[in-house]
Amino acid sequence: MAFVGVLITVLGFVIAVLSVSLSSSVGGRMVVVLIGIAMSLIGIIGVINRAFLKTANWRR
Amino acid sequence: MKRTILLITLALSPTLALAQAPAAPAAQAAAVPITDADLKNVSSPSNDDRLKGDPGGTITGTVADIAVADSKKGLTIGDVVNQIGQNKIAINFVWTLITGFLVMFMQAGFAVVETGLCRAKNANHTMMMNFMVYGVGMLAYWLIGFAIQMGGVGGNGNLGGIQPLNTEWTITLFGKPFGLFGQHGLFLTQGGTYDVGAMVMFLFQMVFMDTALTIVTGTCAERWKYVAFVVASFVMGAFTYPLFANWAWGNGWLANLGGNFGLGKGYCDFAGSGVVHAVGGLTALAGGIIVGPRLGKYTRDGKPNAIIGHDIVIVLTGCFILAFGWFGFNPGSTLGASGNGNLRISSVAVNTMLAGMTGSFGAMFYMWMRYGKPDASMSGNGLLAGLVAITAPSGFVNTVGAAIIGLIAGVLVCISVEFIDRVMKVDDPVGAISVHGANGLWGVISVGLFADGKSNYGGSWNGVMGSVTGLFYGDASQLVAQLIGVATLIGFVFSFSFVVFWIIEVVVGHRVSAKAELEGLDLPEMGQLGYPEFELKARPTGAMA
Repeated sequence: MAFVGVLITVLGFVIAVLSVSLSSSVGGRMVVVLIGIAMSLIGIIGVINRAFLKTANWRR
Repeated sequence: MKRTILLITLALSPTLALAQAPAAPAAQAAAVPITDADLKNVSSPSNDDRLKGDPGGTITGTVADIAVADSKKGLTIGDVVNQIGQNKIAINFVWTLITGFLVMFMQAGFAVVETGLCRAKNANHTMMMNFMVYGVGMLAYWLIGFAIQMGGVGGNGNLGGIQPLNTEWTITLFGKPFGLFGQHGLFLTQGGTYDVGAMVMFLFQMVFMDTALTIVTGTCAERWKYVAFVVASFVMGAFTYPLFANWAWGNGWLANLGGNFGLGKGYCDFAGSGVVHAVGGLTALAGGIIVGPRLGKYTRDGKPNAIIGHDIVIVLTGCFILAFGWFGFNPGSTLGASGNGNLRISSVAVNTMLAGMTGSFGAMFYMWMRYGKPDASMSGNGLLAGLVAITAPSGFVNTVGAAIIGLIAGVLVCISVEFIDRVMKVDDPVGAISVHGANGLWGVISVGLFADGKSNYGGSWNGVMGSVTGLFYGDASQLVAQLIGVATLIGFVFSFSFVVFWIIEVVVGHRVSAKAELEGLDLPEMGQLGYPEFELKARPTGAMA
C-alpha cells in the first residue's frame, strides 16, 4: 500500500510540472499545480502514513 | 525682533532656495585622461617614515601596496584597475567565507537543541549524530554532491567567474531545456575546478547542505541505529540535497521556469527555505514514518504521551546559536558584499532578525493562549520557524513583509506540531518536520506573495530581467513558480527520500532493539554514557543537590 502511496505522491509532482504545458494562463497553471500538490499530500498523509499506522508499534 | 528675523531669513534664503528648487547643473570639468605618467607623481611614504611605525594608520595601505606587473615599467593604469577588480572579488571572498564559517557554527546550535530536547539517556547518541553528520555529509558532498549541484551553474560574477562550473546535463521537455544535474567538480579537481572561486563556492554550499542533513537526526533521534544514520546521511549529502539544489540554484529547470515559461523570475529561494529546510524537513518526515515512534510515545489507543527533553537551558542556548548563525545563512547568500546590488545585505540581515523575533512571539502567544503557559521549547521553535520561513524571501521582501512571514511561521509551527503528533502520529522529538518542513514550504510560498519588486541584484534574477515580485505587488506568475517548487519538494524530494529510507530499512534496518531503546542508546550504540555522573547521582525532580 505504501508503494501505491509513493506513486500517487510522484504523480502529484508530475501533474505540477505538466502545468506549464497544459495551460498558458497564470490562473490555469496555478489550478493545475494546486491539484498536483493536493494529490501529493493525499499520497503522503492519506496513503503512505496510514499504511504505516496500521502496523505501528503502539498497536502491538 | 522683526528685524532680527528678517536678517536671519535673508541669510538663510540661498540655502532654502537650494533645498527646495532643483539645483542648477554645475559646470562640468572637462574629463582629463589619466595616464601611466600621472601615477608616477603619486607619493608613497618613505622608508624612514615606515621605520617609525604607523600608529595613526595613515601610511599603511597606499600606492606602494599596489601590485606591479612589470617592475621595469613601474605602476600602470592596468595595475590599478586590476587591483580594483581584485579588491572587489577579495571583499566578496571574505564575506562569503566568513558567513560560511557562521553557518558551520550552526551545527553546534542544532546539536545542543536536539540533544536538549531528547532524554539524558540518549545524549551521547544524539550529539554524536549531530557531530558526525558534518563529516559524513562533507565527504559525500566533496566526492559527488557538489558536482551534481553546482557543476553546471555557469559561473558567478561575484566570485570572479568560476567558469569551470559550466556543464549541466539537460533533457528537452515541452521544447525547452530542463537542467537536471551538473557534471563538473568531482573531488573539486575534475573539469578545471581546482579554482579559488570554486573553493569559496564549495565551502559555502557545503555548510548549507550539512544544515539540511542535521534536520533528519532530530526527527529520528532516540531510536535510530547509528549505522543507518551514517548511510542515510551519505546518500542525502551525495544525491537528495544536491539534486534539488541543482534545480533551484545550479541552473536547473526550476530556476529557469521564468526564462522558459514566463513564470516570474523562475523558482526563487534566496537562502534555502526550500533547498535546505524543506528538503531536510521532508526527508525527516519520510524517515519518521519509516523508523516509527519511540516506545511509549503513543498509548494503545493512539493517544500521544509527552516525552520531555532533559535540558531546556541548552535548547534555548542552541536557538540563540542558530539565530546568530542565520546572519551567515541569509546575508551570506548574496555570495558577496560588493557589486551587483549586494549592499542589500543590510536589508537581508534586518529581515532575518525581525522574522525570528515575530516567530518566537507567534509561538509564545499561541501556546500561552491555548495551554495557559508560554512554552519555552515551542517559543524556541517559533524563533527557528520564523528564521526558516524568512530564509527564502529574505532577499526580496521589506521589513513589514518579513515580520508578517515570521509571525505566521510562529503560529504555523505550533499547529503543525499538533497535526504531526496527534493526527499523523509521526513521532518527532524535536519538532523538526514542523520547524523546517512546514515552514520551509511556507517560506517558499511567501516569496510568491510578499516579494516587493525593490531588490536589484545586478538587474536580473535567474537570467530574467527585473526584480522578483510577488502576488501582493502585482505578479501572480511568481507564485505559480514557487508552487511548482513546493510540488517538487513534496512530490519528488519526499518520495526519493522515502525510497532511500525504505532500501536502508531492508538492507541494514533503521530501528534499534526495544531493549536498547528502553535502556538508552548511549551504551548499546556508542559504548559510553553522555552523563555518567548523572547515572550515579541522579536526584528526584526538585531535590536539592
